[in-house]
Amino acid sequence: MRDILFIYSARFPVALTYMLQSTEYKAKPYLKWLWRTSNFRAVQHRRTLKRTSYARMLLLALTTGMATELLAGLVFVALGIATGHIWYWMVGIPLIIAYPIVWSHLVIVPLELGRLYIVEPRQNKQIKASAKTFAKHSAIKIAVAGSYGKTTMKEVLKTVLSEGKKVAATEANHNVAIEHAKFARKLEGNEEVLIIEYGEGAPGDVVRFTSITKPTHAVITGLAPAHLDQYKTLDAAAKDIFSLADSVSPDNVYVNADSLAAKPYIRRGNIGYSVAGAGDWKARDIKIEVNKTSFNLVNEDRSLKLTSRLLGKHQVGVLAAAALIAMQLGLSDKQIITGIANTAPFDHRMQPYKLGGAWIIDDTYNGNIDGIKAGTMLLKELKATRKIYVTPGLVDQGKENIKIHQQMGRYIAAAKPDVVILMQNSTTDSIKQGLIENDYVGELKIETDPLAFYTNLDQFAASGDLVMMQNDWPDNYA
Amino acid sequence: MEKLTVAVIFGSRSAEHDVSIITGISIIKALDLSGKYESVPIYIDKKGRWFSANELKDIALFSSGRIEGFLNKQKPILIKVGDGLQLMKQGLKPKLLNIDVVFPATHGTHGEDGELMGLLEMANIPYVGCDVPSSAIAMDKALAKIISQSQGILTSKFVWFYADEFNNSQKQIITRLKELKYPLFVKPVHLGSSIAISRVKDESELINAIEVAAHYDNKIIVEEAVNSLIEVTVPIVGNESLQLALVEQPLTTADNFFDFDTKYIRGGGKKSNGGGKQTGAQGYSKLPADLPKELYLLAENTAKDVYKAIGCSGIARIDLLIDSKAEKVYFNEINPLPGSLYAHNWREAGKSTVNLVSELVDLAKEKHQKKQRLQTVFDTNYLKQY
Repeated sequence: MRDILFIYSARFPVALTYMLQSTEYKAKPYLKWLWRTSNFRAVQHRRTLKRTSYARMLLLALTTGMATELLAGLVFVALGIATGHIWYWMVGIPLIIAYPIVWSHLVIVPLELGRLYIVEPRQNKQIKASAKTFAKHSAIKIAVAGSYGKTTMKEVLKTVLSEGKKVAATEANHNVAIEHAKFARKLEGNEEVLIIEYGEGAPGDVVRFTSITKPTHAVITGLAPAHLDQYKTLDAAAKDIFSLADSVSPDNVYVNADSLAAKPYIRRGNIGYSVAGAGDWKARDIKIEVNKTSFNLVNEDRSLKLTSRLLGKHQVGVLAAAALIAMQLGLSDKQIITGIANTAPFDHRMQPYKLGGAWIIDDTYNGNIDGIKAGTMLLKELKATRKIYVTPGLVDQGKENIKIHQQMGRYIAAAKPDVVILMQNSTTDSIKQGLIENDYVGELKIETDPLAFYTNLDQFAASGDLVMMQNDWPDNYA
Repeated sequence: MEKLTVAVIFGSRSAEHDVSIITGISIIKALDLSGKYESVPIYIDKKGRWFSANELKDIALFSSGRIEGFLNKQKPILIKVGDGLQLMKQGLKPKLLNIDVVFPATHGTHGEDGELMGLLEMANIPYVGCDVPSSAIAMDKALAKIISQSQGILTSKFVWFYADEFNNSQKQIITRLKELKYPLFVKPVHLGSSIAISRVKDESELINAIEVAAHYDNKIIVEEAVNSLIEVTVPIVGNESLQLALVEQPLTTADNFFDFDTKYIRGGGKKSNGGGKQTGAQGYSKLPADLPKELYLLAENTAKDVYKAIGCSGIARIDLLIDSKAEKVYFNEINPLPGSLYAHNWREAGKSTVNLVSELVDLAKEKHQKKQRLQTVFDTNYLKQY
């Protein structure tokens, strides 16, 4: 009852504003979240509303709107009491009862109008201007696209190539057209290499990014089911991603050959990279430890001894590709070795850290099945007194959701962790099914409060433990 | 699977009241995180009133000083003891809550000394940790040494006496103490957490130290210091089959012993030898202790011998004094409820806090089940003669 009455409290507009903020003020995910939420008291579970000027304005508008409707309802009811006329009651009562529902929907109207008539035209102008900047710029332009691993590849390339070139790269995972435009505005003009990450989300995205940024080189990091709510099929996503190869010379296209789904789309002349090496270079003597990966990159007459703080066999291909691109751009062996040595995990991506005597591998930004495969393989490979695997599952897996989570369960079982901890949600049963199919015999725990678990990890882990944490769900998916 | 209801009792009328709050709340947190138990906090305030409310799980209620105001709005609970233990919340509609297992987290007097265990034995309910006799012996430093000595375990030379004896015939006591060599340690027999312990170098300091100890306890022990000292402590878990954590070496202060402030106040935020940021006693510890292999093993074995001699079950921590030159290990004290369960040491030894509390609850059930098999009543014709 308290949960139902909450929508009539002064905290309800705050909850709605938080939901809008968490979904980046986008109508579709906000409405999806709104419609499936039964307890609005619990939406601000992991975080709370950041009271930015925009959020404050929205909160004020929402509160004023709701208060006005409530007041109007009360006036009608008062008139009903004063006059005894039933019609006043019939208007006033629905106004009072329905105001939270009405305003939780009405709030998106000004947002959408603003996006349509103010934000988008302004952004389109900036994007057009950036196309001219990219066209004029004489630097080598490397586009990085794929369903996963883009940010890692971009950062590895930036770190390695910076040893011998002036490099600029798009920031963090800022990978859509408007962010490319902002990146273009910051360029000084004397950069030798530009690295641009493409964040595809819907059919036609990569074609559009390519026409604006005009890449000379392309790296396709892999193909996996992602954004299938928009692409519908993996083939549609593949066609969009591989359209990048149309505008670049085939021998300047590097494709992750470890990605089985990507293999059929590799074209003649493209350079494959994988755990076996890159192009004609072979990876030998691979050694994986909890805080580093090392291997020798060899061809007929040369050998480079490479060590990186990136973790896992799946990174060997990434590092080999970066080394090969660096060679192509004229970096010396010494520069390449130093550059690879400088590569390190990024926040929440296969990032190892010590908690007491336990090793934690934080891979909570991993959101696709290939990443899960890489993480579970790493877990299998590393030595520990007790191995613990933690995940809530994946989001945005479209129609393949059940199959993908069953596969995830099979991957986890194959790593043979001593303990599997699943965060209770809609994917749990599918993961459990996969665990059973692959005869998982360890301890299975279902955690109902992920936040309590993550914030008290030190209570669950002990010295000698290895804890692999893959993916994390924000409030709007939990 | 239905969750077991575990009542965690903490606080109590003890000089270690505040330490007990930390222990109790850390146990509650681990029990809740395990997902296997429904924890029920039972807080005994300094006046001896019993309270239970979910808000008592939050350390901020105590650390902020809001606890007094909170308790003023609460009604103390009643405990119903029969075949089991029920907690009764007073009010218009009194509510009864069945408790499956009790986890005592009270340090010192009126709790760790066996008094609470007596109540739990009467209720015939499983409870974590040492039973009545072992708790009572462990909390009497003199008695624990006498029993250990009887089992061939080394202790440093000591003299014990009652505070009244000292007050009435100080000269006689001082004469008895002349058989001991300085420096000496003066301790209240029943207190833990290093409260009111003094290290004295001569007779002038001795009298003052005894007066301080007598302020806290009616029984006092004075013992010789060990030469070439390495002080270690060994946490143990188990009933018959024992598991040892790491032998831990607390690092002493300039005064050369580990007082209350060092353990619980100044320790905050210091780095241990292992590099991890830890608070409390563990902040000054070497984990594991820096000992030659033979001496490390001897310390482990002595600790196990003491645990068995005293008759401990569930959990305890044994403090040992090592003469590193003579390579001798002396039993010093036993603590039937280590502060915060010494979870930092168990984690380092490979046992997570969540697993530690779960195992302790299992051990409590195992001990209780075993005890149920014993015959405690039988029919006689005795009354017929009256």
